Amino acid sequence: MAKKVKKNYESNIDMTPMIDCVFQLMIFFIVTIQLDNDQISEKIKLAQSPNGPKIEKKIPGTMIIQLDKDGNILMGKAVCNEAALRGIVGLAVNRMGPSQVNIMIRADTKTKHYYVRRVMDICTEKGIYKIQFAAMKKKGE
Amino acid sequence: MAKGEDPKLDMTPMIDCVFQLLIFFIVTLKPEDIIAHLDVNRPAPDAKAKQDETPEDLIQVMIFRDGFNINNRTVSLNTLQGVLAKLASMSTTQTILIKCASDSPHEKLVQVLDLCSLVGLKNLSVMSM
Repeated sequence: MAKKVKKNYESNIDMTPMIDCVFQLMIFFIVTIQLDNDQISEKIKLAQSPNGPKIEKKIPGTMIIQLDKDGNILMGKAVCNEAALRGIVGLAVNRMGPSQVNIMIRADTKTKHYYVRRVMDICTEKGIYKIQFAAMKKKGE
Repeated sequence: MAKGEDPKLDMTPMIDCVFQLLIFFIVTLKPEDIIAHLDVNRPAPDAKAKQDETPEDLIQVMIFRDGFNINNRTVSLNTLQGVLAKLASMSTTQTILIKCASDSPHEKLVQVLDLCSLVGLKNLSVMSM
């Protein structure tokens, strides 16, 4: 009788390491997905530009400034005012030099140019004359 | 179970788990949007005064809330594309001055920049008015 019990015990697989592993994987993917979308607000609907050159590689020193349809400035997911933006851009320019800072403006289709202009003026004020606009080349289904 | 027989593994929980994971990733995975970058130049602030007297040979595209203008001629988007294509066939390095009205939606500016990108014009200068 005692022998039989031992045999049954041996034939069971221990699932714990597998479950551990699966959880590790899940946590890894959840964390990395969030990191990737950190700088982008999903509320902003980009204008279509099927002919524009696509972003091949992330340029180091890229600063993404977002503008929603009401003209609010968003850095990452936080709303910031013009003074704060001026400070952030100024800091980046001081640290890297104006030629190394790459400004990308992600503005909503409906954003009035007035608000885009204000952001561009802040950049120009800090010595950045080259600006990129983000547009939707092809939407992922 | 006989002594020499291999113990059978119950694969069911593992397969269940793998299917769960598969469904999770299929549902959550969204193909990434392909984003285009439209590069423009801004005139330096000290050049602002000079730009009021725009040189006559510089191509000026104006963007209003309800339409486009090229060298003071009102055009549709299709016509604008034709004109820009003709200009690009002469030279793709010439500067195009894009003047944008404050109340025009950003979409219009992107449309013009997209056309310039389509025809290959690279020197784009964006001004506001």
